[in-house]
Amino acid sequence: MSRGCERNPVGRVVATEAMPAGPHQFHFWTATETTLGIGAIVRVDDGVGRTVYAVVVDGRAYSDLLTALHDVVAAEGDPATVRPPTRRTEVRLWTAAVLRQIPDDPLQPVPLADVQLATTEDVEVALRMDSYVRGVAPAGLPIGLYTAGGTTAPVCLDADFLLGPESAHLNISGVSGLATKTSAVEFFIASIFQTFPAHKGSISAVCVNVKGPDLCYLDQPGELTDADREMYATMGLDPKPFESVQYFAPFKPDGININTLRSHPDLSDSVQPLVWGLREVLDYHEVLLNRDDIDAKSDAFIDFLADRVVEKEFVDDWGNTHRVSTFSHLERLFKAIFDGLEAQGRSDMWRTHHIATIRKVRNRLLNISVRCKGLVTDDGAVSDLPFGEFADRSIYVLDVAGMDQLAQDLVFTRVVSKLREHLERRDLGVEHVLVFVDELNKYAPGEGPDTYVRKMLLDISERGRYLGLVLFGAQQFRSQVHRRIVGNSGTTIYGRMDMDELATPGYQVLSPATKIKLATLPKGELMVRHPHFTQPVFVRFPRPPVLAGPLGVQRFPPVSDVAFEEAVVRQLAALDRDTDPAKIKQAIAGHREEAIRRALLATKRTRPDNVLSFFSAALGPPVSRPRVGDSFAGGTLLKAVDDPYGT
Amino acid sequence: MSDSVTRLLSDAILTAGGTADTGSTVLTHVPQPVATPFAPAESVEHNAIRAIDVGGTAEATPPAAFMDGIQRYAVAGRFGLIPVIRGYVAAAVLARHDAELSAAGCREEELVIAPLSRLPDRAIRELEGTGMPLHDSGGERTHPIVDVHLAGQVVERRREELELQVAREYLGHTTFGWLVVDGSITAMVTLAGAARILGVVKSHETQYLDGADLRQALTLPAGHRTSVFARLGAERSMVRTWYLRLWPWEGRDLLYGLIRLERVAESALAEATEVSRWMLAERAPLSAPDGRWDRLIYPVHQVESYLRARAGEWL
Repeated sequence: MSRGCERNPVGRVVATEAMPAGPHQFHFWTATETTLGIGAIVRVDDGVGRTVYAVVVDGRAYSDLLTALHDVVAAEGDPATVRPPTRRTEVRLWTAAVLRQIPDDPLQPVPLADVQLATTEDVEVALRMDSYVRGVAPAGLPIGLYTAGGTTAPVCLDADFLLGPESAHLNISGVSGLATKTSAVEFFIASIFQTFPAHKGSISAVCVNVKGPDLCYLDQPGELTDADREMYATMGLDPKPFESVQYFAPFKPDGININTLRSHPDLSDSVQPLVWGLREVLDYHEVLLNRDDIDAKSDAFIDFLADRVVEKEFVDDWGNTHRVSTFSHLERLFKAIFDGLEAQGRSDMWRTHHIATIRKVRNRLLNISVRCKGLVTDDGAVSDLPFGEFADRSIYVLDVAGMDQLAQDLVFTRVVSKLREHLERRDLGVEHVLVFVDELNKYAPGEGPDTYVRKMLLDISERGRYLGLVLFGAQQFRSQVHRRIVGNSGTTIYGRMDMDELATPGYQVLSPATKIKLATLPKGELMVRHPHFTQPVFVRFPRPPVLAGPLGVQRFPPVSDVAFEEAVVRQLAALDRDTDPAKIKQAIAGHREEAIRRALLATKRTRPDNVLSFFSAALGPPVSRPRVGDSFAGGTLLKAVDDPYGT
Repeated sequence: MSDSVTRLLSDAILTAGGTADTGSTVLTHVPQPVATPFAPAESVEHNAIRAIDVGGTAEATPPAAFMDGIQRYAVAGRFGLIPVIRGYVAAAVLARHDAELSAAGCREEELVIAPLSRLPDRAIRELEGTGMPLHDSGGERTHPIVDVHLAGQVVERRREELELQVAREYLGHTTFGWLVVDGSITAMVTLAGAARILGVVKSHETQYLDGADLRQALTLPAGHRTSVFARLGAERSMVRTWYLRLWPWEGRDLLYGLIRLERVAESALAEATEVSRWMLAERAPLSAPDGRWDRLIYPVHQVESYLRARAGEWL
């Protein structure tokens, strides 16, 4: 458990006319040998009832040497001369920024008294944690340990200020490659899941994995040292991986192998395909079609399609009835329109929409199924997150690392928008959802066009706290993220920072010493800003209780892509290891791939007791495989949109 | 004086075989006359004073402590024309361990000085009532300058007594290591442990040598010492002393960088070179910006700083 320090003064407050002590800042000296450093919390008592808590933000050392020339003369110009027998008198002068004064009124300059190192209890009071870590309804969420000056004390955030409704959101910055941002967020979520109080309601997390295997092994135990375990114990946490994690990843372009590094047979059964159809995409066409693609006329036509055509019985001008629910159906409608106009000799307008606009929208929309291949299907099969059935303390990982930026944008936007819709209706299944997204600078850059994704993120950052929708954003350079988004983040975390980044205006409030400390922070150490903390506080956090991405890849090597038939066998076998592969192959023989995919998706979604029976029933009777150009129910099979020479 | 005049005069001096000073202090007032300009001495190391190269600085300096004292005085009031002087004296020892100096002894005293024979009884009673020691400055006739000057002499004596007391106490509770004192050791030669005392004299008002010996001493090259010689008369006969040049004087004042070291022990002669090498090592750190930095070693300077800090804004 935490250890306090002895109640011996380590310094004394000094004030001169040029360097006075104020209510917000003061200076004190210590012996040259001291455990004090930048970020240490100290306490000053005036002996008559006023106590001041402060954090050390700057330190200087100087001697009685008036000019460097005197040192040169003494050494006779040779730095290699024997060390002087006497060291010059040196002073260590520190600057501390006030965290809290008790009483807080009247606010007065810091008394010129002894300075003591803060004890564990002092840290709690100094950071105002005493108002929320104790009492009948405690709401403290451990975020790390304050470790300075020989004192170790848990640092907790206020749940009301991290997850709403008072303030919300967390933003974390730090240079890449130091395993800080992702590791920290994994630890924070673990801490939140273990300590989020029951009286505050239920909570789950959605993590968007945008690169590598970072978030692919959240259900596997991590490699912890004894020091890590001690840190967990000090914070009252159990160093265990997440018990409930569901993974979602789109297919690869082949439509059968799932696009994730978590494809090892021992883990693949927990990965659900993420597959969307026309309706799911059309609602978020603004994400996929930029302003150069779409003008007002195109917008109007897309709205017409969404309102009047999709998922409805629609009769065209030539008496054909369409029910458009897939991209294939949509293509058939477009073909009917073009054919009809051409046959009637009216080639310019259809229902107030110009033929050029219709062709443009057709090209853009149908190309989406190509650009987001694997995520967007054109055969109507859909596999989505369990909106409405989110479980308390569960994590839903969207692994979109293998997709291009456009598809990532679509996934992120749609999922977050759906979360918001469900939270507004109070039917998501949980009351709070935290969404973790890395590379926030890509989704909400400070400069550049005003994208749909950015607008959505701005909306969440400004209104999400009332809904229980909390954004945990991470990026390398905070200055490159939209100001309103980082500004609305109630809690800000800084890992090791780049000096160029620290030179930007957003860091002007930090002292030069704090900046240097930030630029040289070791792994596992962070600077935290939180509404209750009047000054930034440095904390240490343990390795997360989950398997790190690179280690996970070593321990569970991803399997290479396999042929369609083998992939179906493997995915069904992963659901039920007793399933006979030969019987699966027998079951899918003679079926079209689209039908097999639909049956496979339904089976994975349902996870029945008897996998093979369910799959076979979903598959239905076999049919002969059609060829391009053959007629089948509903029309003619079209050539692939991205293959103009296909036959 | 313009550069051309300086050059003209320097050329003349050099031509005639003299040496030209370039860093002399510009003076405006005639200094007070030296009280004791000459004193007897006899060479104990050589028949005549020689310049001896000490062979550079010592690689390692011996354990040592450093002692100095300060004094302050000011007119606190008057009874008619008769001044009452308030004085403050302090002495301290800073011991050096691992190149760090720390206080190893200190004494301070506030005192009151006045020509008691000229004060009314009531005034003396009131001054005694302050609890501070009351000292008589003497003097038979009232003189606004002389009375203060006499009081200053009392303060100086009291400071010397305090230094002696602090030195005695330090030597009494330590068994080894040097005690380097600022100035002459004449008053300390009878102390137990006086063999461990080394005096560093920076002022050279009294000259003990004459003729070629004096010339040898005052023109010592840097890093050289003179032969050891004995100061004569009463306790002084027990003092062994020699000059040491810390910094090159050429082009500057004759006394620039020149100190005189004093010891009482018989081993002074045998250890003079070793002690001189040690003192050369004490040139660093420089005690600048103190104007006496060429002769004031840093640890003694630090004792002064320590005492000044304790005295604070005296008065």
